[in-house]
Amino acid sequence: MSFLDSIAAGLSVVGNIEAFLALFVGVAIGVVGGAIPGMSATMAVALTLPFTFAMQPITGILLLLGVYKGGIFGGSIPAILIKTPGTPASSATILDGYPMAEKGEAGRALGMALWASCTADVISNLALILFAGWLASFALSFGPPEFFTLILFSLTIIAGVSGKSLLRGALSALLGLLLATIGLDLVYGTNRFTFGDPNMMGGLNFIAVLIGLFAIPEILAMVWHPTAHVGTARSLGKNWVTFADYRRSFKSIVRGSFIGVFLGSIPGIGAAPSAFLSYSEARRTSKNKENFGKGEVEGVAASEAGNNGVAGATLIPLLALGVPGDVITAIIIGAFMIHGLQPGPMMFILNVDIIYGLFIGLIVSSVFLFVIGSVAIRGFKYVADVPKRILIPGVLVLCIYGVFAVNNNIFDVGVMFVMGWVGFMMVRYRIPAAPFLIAFILGPLLEDNFRQSMLMSGSDPAILFRGPITWFFWGLTVLTVVAIVRAGVRAVRGVSLIEK
Amino acid sequence: MTEWQVQMRLGLGAIAAALFLVLWAIPQWVSSPSNVQKIILSPLFWPFALAGFTGLVGLGLVLGGLRMTDDGNPVNEPTQDAGAAWMRLLGMAVIMALTMFLLPRLGMVLTSMLVFVATAFLVRTRHPVTAVVCAVIIPLVLYAFFAHVAGVAIPQGNFLRLP
Repeated sequence: MSFLDSIAAGLSVVGNIEAFLALFVGVAIGVVGGAIPGMSATMAVALTLPFTFAMQPITGILLLLGVYKGGIFGGSIPAILIKTPGTPASSATILDGYPMAEKGEAGRALGMALWASCTADVISNLALILFAGWLASFALSFGPPEFFTLILFSLTIIAGVSGKSLLRGALSALLGLLLATIGLDLVYGTNRFTFGDPNMMGGLNFIAVLIGLFAIPEILAMVWHPTAHVGTARSLGKNWVTFADYRRSFKSIVRGSFIGVFLGSIPGIGAAPSAFLSYSEARRTSKNKENFGKGEVEGVAASEAGNNGVAGATLIPLLALGVPGDVITAIIIGAFMIHGLQPGPMMFILNVDIIYGLFIGLIVSSVFLFVIGSVAIRGFKYVADVPKRILIPGVLVLCIYGVFAVNNNIFDVGVMFVMGWVGFMMVRYRIPAAPFLIAFILGPLLEDNFRQSMLMSGSDPAILFRGPITWFFWGLTVLTVVAIVRAGVRAVRGVSLIEK
Repeated sequence: MTEWQVQMRLGLGAIAAALFLVLWAIPQWVSSPSNVQKIILSPLFWPFALAGFTGLVGLGLVLGGLRMTDDGNPVNEPTQDAGAAWMRLLGMAVIMALTMFLLPRLGMVLTSMLVFVATAFLVRTRHPVTAVVCAVIIPLVLYAFFAHVAGVAIPQGNFLRLP
């Protein structure tokens, strides 16, 4: 199929009002969800997921992608106006965004955040379109040993970079893998931790686990400390961003976008490190480096370009390899599965219309983000005024309905509550939740590929080192572990020196 | 709870969990056919391997903890009244347990209304009237969507039958 044929096939599935309406609504939900302190883009995507069950696959996935894109930008609004990042990805935006708001230039900072976000979004989407197909065609030659080593590498890097230490991340991933063993055995069909309960035989429901891990802990945190999210919003001021500001920051925006694309395409790194790296590079190379941290518009541009550059790129490993790059894409992979689609290289052959439909939708989402973002900047005061202590019970009720709707099963609601307490404890004990969820999703795939490899080789582990691809992933895994351990040791030494 | 305490508790907890899995849970609750020739293909292999790695990670956390110095700074922000915070958490646990009990009996709509009101008052809402109004409207709107648009059979309970 030629490129033009693929685009035509994509247009045939998204060329309707429902698909674009879903995308538009998704971006709007995302911007509002990301802008509400105490919610996050992740929570907004998780809560929107149940509403996609009744939709066509492409419409539902576009809705979620819209929420994702909108949520990442939305997080910058409270970061600038009330010094509270709506999403962790917006933490770097505070560094210059809030000082600008203090100087009465919040409108200018938000305008630049929007322009930088949209530019980075376009660059990221183009990178996705260029690289995902290429990577998928390369991955077509993967067998079970190659997939096993790829997933192992992905889990290692996710465990290593998500939390404060590799060991805590590894513990989180191992707990996720253990939870994924619940159900019938993949090969023999015997019971594993089912306790004779038929509800457990199919394994724990993925949506119940993810909503439990990412929405219920927020509710419990609110119960623990009901006034934690109270803040005062700054006014927008009279200054607005100009084209001259944009032109002056353009180099930082493009550099930040490429940093986002690069880091986003590596599973596990996510938007926050990308934003900080982009910011520090902009500060290092800028002519106005002394203004950084005091309210420099280029700093806002760089951090927003860094975090939005990730949004399209995280879909590269998701679509091409079936490996989610971060928590939000892990939720989106759930939407694919609910609609009977399995992301990965075969999707580029079997569902090319959906793939190209998504590409078209993503390009359009940048335009929608610009329109909705412009309105949201002015309307933030109404979003900030939503009483959190009314919002949180509403979120709880929505969680109950959404989780029940997956399988029409009250048992899943119980699983969600239990996972909520697990998630809350993980937050209290500083264990990152992302490796847990991603390991829970990839667990069956990891075990399946391992056992298939063993069946192929007559239980000879040498098959896991059978060619250059497996060696490549083993090498990356070892490099990742060494790099993370070295960084940890350096950090400990640094702390010791400071203490001395 | 200081960083050192977190580290040590996590490490010891992981070791305890690994021992529990290896010595009790896996032999008790994972069944394997007797004719599996190689342990590596057995349904037991993967849980045992994961339990082993969990124990190793726990050991690593404990060793890391032994090398750390306890700075005495709490890792979580202290709340103004910890006793009241714990009571609210307990209240939330009771709400969740009651939800599971009431869902098949009262149905999802009525249970959700009660859950909404109880949670709003638990977090000491400053808008009680709005909370009650939302508690009625939100479950009904969600019912309308899931039952009539998504085609989900929402549990109706024994007392209220909605169209």
